[in-house]
Amino acid sequence: MNAPSRAAALRAVVDLASDPLPILWPLETAIATNPLWDLRSRGFAGAVSVADRLLGATGYPSDDTLRLAYCEGRITDTDLHSALREYRLSAREEFGVREGPEHFDAAVFNAHHLDGRIDAEVARWCAAFLGGKLPRSSDGFYNAWRHSVSTTLWARRPKAKQLLSRLPPTAAEAAVFCLTLLGIDEHQWRSELTAHLARMPGWAAHAKWRSRWAAPGTPGPALELVDYLAVRLAYATLLGSETSGGSEASGGTARSQTAQSGWRENAPAGLDTIPALAGMDASEKQEIWLRSYEIHYRARLLRALTRQTSSPSQRPPAAQFVFCIDVRSEGLRRHIEASGDYETFGFAGFFGFPVRVHPWNGGSAVDLCPVLLRPTLEVDETPAGGRPASGSALLAAHTGFAGVGPAIEAGRQGEISPYVLAEASGFALGPVAALRTLAPQAFAALRSWVSTKLAPEPRTELNLQGASAPSDDSQALYAETALKTMGLTAGFAPVVVICGHAATTENNPFASALDCGACGAVGGARSARLAADVLNRPRVRQLLRERHIDIPVGTVFVAAEHDTTTDRVRVLDAGSVPPSHARLVENLQEAMSQAGRRLTDERSGDLPGADPSGATSHVSRRSVDWAQLQPEWGLARNASLIVAPRALSAGVDLQRRAFLHSYDPASDEGGLFLETILTGPMVVAHWINAAYYFSAVSPDVYGAGDKAAHNVVAGAGVWQGVGGDLRLGLPRQAVFDGERLYHEPMRLLTVIEAPPTLIDAVIARNAVVEQLVGGAWVHLVCRHEGTWLLKAGDGSWIDLPDGEPPAYPDSAGPVDATLEGLQTSRIGGGQP
Amino acid sequence: MISERWGLTPMVKVEVVVAGEDAPSVTEVFKAAGAVGFTTVANVSGFGHHGYHQGLLAFNDRSSLVLLMVVLPEEHVESLLEGLRQIFTERRGVLFVSDTFVSRPEYFR
Repeated sequence: MNAPSRAAALRAVVDLASDPLPILWPLETAIATNPLWDLRSRGFAGAVSVADRLLGATGYPSDDTLRLAYCEGRITDTDLHSALREYRLSAREEFGVREGPEHFDAAVFNAHHLDGRIDAEVARWCAAFLGGKLPRSSDGFYNAWRHSVSTTLWARRPKAKQLLSRLPPTAAEAAVFCLTLLGIDEHQWRSELTAHLARMPGWAAHAKWRSRWAAPGTPGPALELVDYLAVRLAYATLLGSETSGGSEASGGTARSQTAQSGWRENAPAGLDTIPALAGMDASEKQEIWLRSYEIHYRARLLRALTRQTSSPSQRPPAAQFVFCIDVRSEGLRRHIEASGDYETFGFAGFFGFPVRVHPWNGGSAVDLCPVLLRPTLEVDETPAGGRPASGSALLAAHTGFAGVGPAIEAGRQGEISPYVLAEASGFALGPVAALRTLAPQAFAALRSWVSTKLAPEPRTELNLQGASAPSDDSQALYAETALKTMGLTAGFAPVVVICGHAATTENNPFASALDCGACGAVGGARSARLAADVLNRPRVRQLLRERHIDIPVGTVFVAAEHDTTTDRVRVLDAGSVPPSHARLVENLQEAMSQAGRRLTDERSGDLPGADPSGATSHVSRRSVDWAQLQPEWGLARNASLIVAPRALSAGVDLQRRAFLHSYDPASDEGGLFLETILTGPMVVAHWINAAYYFSAVSPDVYGAGDKAAHNVVAGAGVWQGVGGDLRLGLPRQAVFDGERLYHEPMRLLTVIEAPPTLIDAVIARNAVVEQLVGGAWVHLVCRHEGTWLLKAGDGSWIDLPDGEPPAYPDSAGPVDATLEGLQTSRIGGGQP
Repeated sequence: MISERWGLTPMVKVEVVVAGEDAPSVTEVFKAAGAVGFTTVANVSGFGHHGYHQGLLAFNDRSSLVLLMVVLPEEHVESLLEGLRQIFTERRGVLFVSDTFVSRPEYFR
């Protein structure tokens, strides 16, 4: 192979080598994803096995968690019986699962033998690069490092000097050059590169986001995978030439080894006392226990759905509401429905408009859609009355006010400036900090008052007409897709509220993780306003009529936003509501506020340290308290996705654990809308579910650690402490309540009301759905003609009478479920 | 010869069909092999070893198929194919290579 061919091959191998690594979005848009997403074709069991070997990541709930669940009745003998039966069907053949070439054993070996000094050096340079402290950052990380490292003392060592002088100008060529010097041939590249990436999965995950997910032209220093690896390999080359044999690991792998050995010592004992489990390996036993845990939830859910008797009102609804599918919307929907003749729908919170908004104040464009999509619409946001002139007082006030925070932050980050900052501003910032700590609500009110006085937020509009706006046809097409997919094509109420959501939190690097995932981890207000504006346009309605969606003249769409931390719900753009509907909208505002208060009362019982007697005030304080580590529970305990008309679940308390996507199978003969839901919203729901799952079962590897010790690293992620690797996943406080898990780690259960043949057709033509369902990343249950059917691992459908697991015993053979060995005395007792 | 008759320059056209999520890997290989530009056609559909592939998925660009086309001088083709072969060791997709002719060769060098 000639040199250009080797460089091109290396670029390809770099991407393949990163498959076992997660993807880490920047904190500003902290998207929850499945950390094993690029291993999904191996199936759940295969993927967690790779992660176990390579990163030491546990793939199943701990022995203690499962034992506790059994002792508390959260797992019963019946659940175990069912799990064993279903597992045997799965083990026969998993559709959608394929084995890949095995590179990981060599990668695991190599990772353990890499020199720990490489990690320390590379982590420092990565942080400096992303922090904008290296010149020539536009040339990429490798060249910025090459330029800057040559000025350090380290580079004066003869061997370093010699190596640096010989390094090629591009990262790919440099990586090939170093691999050659290290004596690693092409067949070993992949395992070697995987080994390097596995040493610090956090930095690798950030680089993977930049290389494979970031939109072209994303601002900020670009830390690409190939650059990151070139720098690592340069250090490996140099240290290899300076020492004989590597020193022991000190980075991610060391952490992983601890977790790994701990798991293996604890895992099998106690939970394998059932004779039927004899002969199975540890991961098979864990799989059966996990399934038991999941089946228990499934049986309860399906039982509740079967027994629900509420039927849709025969009267036309006084109003309709469209909420995001987010699990936090479920409680609000339930309380709103209980308060009047209201009908609610669930749809992905970008409401079907993948849009890039250019803010009125000239700030960075905001993409409002799931990261699975690239925005196809661009919209300008303008203050009502027109865009302010450059240099206008309004713009200057906003620019100046918005610059205060970053200026203080920049002062804190410098070498000398923190001391100057403390001297110069301590007299003012000290009392502010004291007020913020002792009276967070008063401070929030004061800050709001100051910002209103100095830089009032103008009322803005999203420009849907004019040369730069999306065409009318385009707007109508997206509106049609949204309405048809959620099954809202007739029977429109006088007012349809489109309600996005966001979370108010303070001093929270993971704030965006509480915002709307379907909007790309930002608040949903703009998406709701855009959808309402489009659906109110006469021209769009005319085009929709041609597509058989007749929205009456008397129907008005109104945007609203649900603050999930405080449960306040407010109508947006109330001033734009026509006088004919103003009174009705006022009544709806009151209904939403009351529903929000009831929801606060309901969920405050779950919040650590909550005061049920003053729930509203308590959640309000939590949202503005800068010392609060758990402003809300977010999407913890999420467990299922229900794709069905609301009639299937109306009146059932789903305990804010179900994503709810409205869907009408009667109007989806070809399965097009079901396909849209299963390839989009279900994937997003799975990502969220998997992020919570792995942050809970493997917090050392896939969790971000304790919020109290976080240090933000250039907006890319957090350190636990002052250096090393970036942390992955969700903070400990997102899934743990003290020492105990709050989140129940289970794989997503998707419940679909549709004919099984239709579901099979969608699975067959979409590899991503086939992989998720066949690989047991997602469990699938179908509701059809009054029966429940479970998709088995071999692709068949199993009848679930009344939603209960099938009767036992059957052909699977007897199970001795005498579990005397799992009594309470063992809980938390270490070795059983 | 077409090139002589019409005053065109021979080049090689490489077309690749992969899932949208693998497109960045392919375009990186294009660039590493010396390509100075490429064309992307999103949401293509078709039938193959894994059955029918849906074209447009309303809410998922990453799972729908894309067609990537690149035209480059013959001396770069070996590098390009070496990189693409690596990708296809694990990724699904197809690759077509054909002769083509261009009127402005400097655009492709």
